[in-house]
Amino acid sequence: MDDQACPRCKTTKYRNPSLKLMVNICGHALCESCVDLLFLKGSGSCPECNVPLRRSNFRVQLFEDSMVEKEIDIRKRVLKDFNKKEEDFATLREYNDYLEEIETIIFNLVNNIDIVGTNKRIEQYKKDNKEVIMKNKAKIGREEFELEEILEIEKQMEELRRAEILKMEEEAKKQKIREKEALIDELMFAEGDAKDILNTFAQTVANKQEDIVPVLPKVTQFSTGVKFTRGSGQQPVPVIEEGPLYRYEPPESPDRCGPDPPSIEEICNNGYLQHVRAENETEKAAGYSSTLPCLRALQDALSGLYHAS
Amino acid sequence: MEEPTGTLRYEKIDFLGEGQFATVYKARDVKSDKIVAVKKIKIGSRMEAEDGINRTALREIKLLQELQHINLIGLLDVFGQKSNVSLVFDFMDTDLEIIVKDSNIVLTPANVKAYMIMTLKGLEYLHQNWILHRDLKPNNLLINREGILKIGDFGLAKAFGSPTRINTHQVVTRWYRSPELLFGAKQYGTGVDMWAVGCILAELLLRVPFLPGETDLDQLSRIFQVFGTPTEETWPGMKSLSDYVQYKHFPAQQLRHIFSAASDDLLQLLDSLLSLYPPRRCDCTQALQMPYFSNKPPPSMGPKLPMPTNLFKMEIEKPSLKRKLLDNIEGGSVAKKLLQF
Repeated sequence: MDDQACPRCKTTKYRNPSLKLMVNICGHALCESCVDLLFLKGSGSCPECNVPLRRSNFRVQLFEDSMVEKEIDIRKRVLKDFNKKEEDFATLREYNDYLEEIETIIFNLVNNIDIVGTNKRIEQYKKDNKEVIMKNKAKIGREEFELEEILEIEKQMEELRRAEILKMEEEAKKQKIREKEALIDELMFAEGDAKDILNTFAQTVANKQEDIVPVLPKVTQFSTGVKFTRGSGQQPVPVIEEGPLYRYEPPESPDRCGPDPPSIEEICNNGYLQHVRAENETEKAAGYSSTLPCLRALQDALSGLYHAS
Repeated sequence: MEEPTGTLRYEKIDFLGEGQFATVYKARDVKSDKIVAVKKIKIGSRMEAEDGINRTALREIKLLQELQHINLIGLLDVFGQKSNVSLVFDFMDTDLEIIVKDSNIVLTPANVKAYMIMTLKGLEYLHQNWILHRDLKPNNLLINREGILKIGDFGLAKAFGSPTRINTHQVVTRWYRSPELLFGAKQYGTGVDMWAVGCILAELLLRVPFLPGETDLDQLSRIFQVFGTPTEETWPGMKSLSDYVQYKHFPAQQLRHIFSAASDDLLQLLDSLLSLYPPRRCDCTQALQMPYFSNKPPPSMGPKLPMPTNLFKMEIEKPSLKRKLLDNIEGGSVAKKLLQF
């Protein structure tokens, strides 16, 4: 890495150990001070290839080969839209073809092969798969959010644990001081043999140490999202029992003791509705329809006609 | 020999709960030796008592007397004692709200299908007889220990299909209230019940209320955040509804993302039940004929349905105060939901 040099001001890592090379989407490197100088206004063009660049897109070069940096940028951009997952494909073959296509596009863009055509291809893909892209984006966003949440919880747990341990250590320190004082008191005022007293104290201290077992809070989920619980905590998986499939049966129509009233279709098609007030706009918007009172009135009128006492 | 009638016929076993309008007891029918629920309507110095009998009780008596269906709560008897009126119902062990909230119960797709079939069949019968329930929610879907679901609480039920009669839009518990009611519709159809069924289905899948709005306005914005703000094209005439308010434009979400474990045929049903535009909502018959119900898995009917684990243990205990207080807000007929205790 020592032969790293800024292509513009020719400063090397040897002359300026704090040299930081930055790259932008075109893949050409510049040192930090040159970036400051050239992109004072926030945007400008690359001194090597004249591609318009934004200052905010500059980042520290991680890899020696700036082509790798360029590829990372391009890959990031392309994968933003090419975000289908394996489950979006019917067969593994299709998925592999799709991955192959992504690689071709990235390779073309990195090596400046048929840029216009490739960009057109990306646009076409975006247009064709607009919905899937949006869907997967939302999904990824959600997953990231959940993961972040878990990480946050883990961080909190970690902090809690650290605080606990600190507290315990402090407690132990205090305990030791107290014991020492007690021992001195005992030695000063007790009548017995000093050796015996020392022995009994050593015994109790040893006993106490055995008692203290640090209790660590239990973690219930890895950041990978896998929960670890004991078998007993799980709910029994209900056995799926096969039964007869449901088949719709219309409810028994009540015995109206009269001629059958017309069906909804007949009411709509046979001119019945000309004799009732049509629903207005508000009523229709509220789900009311003049077929309802029409059918009801007809049912009422026809029922009981055959009734004989 | 004279048969025992009235209070003599029913032996009080247990106090089940108390609502705003009624007290409910578990009782034994001496005549048939069946366990029943007796709902004693309170007639105090209430304002409503001036009209005679309490309105919700009157609705229940009037409608349920003529309705007979396996998936509707059966009104077995009505008797009076002094100035009190008591209604005798089928005894039901639990309700869907308790089952949804019980984290020990796993609801399989087959269970959900069974609950939906029973609800829709009861409702289909109700609608066929020109009655809207207008208060469908999980805790009005009562379930007995044979696994039969019955629609209960007819305190808000009303006949529909009259061309002139105006209805109130202040019906249905808010979380299950359809957008047209929230916009103040006064003439409506079966759509209000279908929307509630959609919300209940969503709740069965999510195990939490689907759209728990805090106010009526919040309810609408929650609805639109999921289904997208309707426009004059997607809901013609919407702006002419009396309480219409302009909402910020929300894009519609994919139901598939909210109910990620739901099958496609189920999503189709859900989408149809929860259409914003009321005429596009399916009715019970259309719903029951959808592929979801005839596809696999078959519904797990009857005794295969899960029951709360503490059902039998709880029988000795008194109803919890919290639930009692909660039910108090909602009115008398709600009290019989305590039957499982």
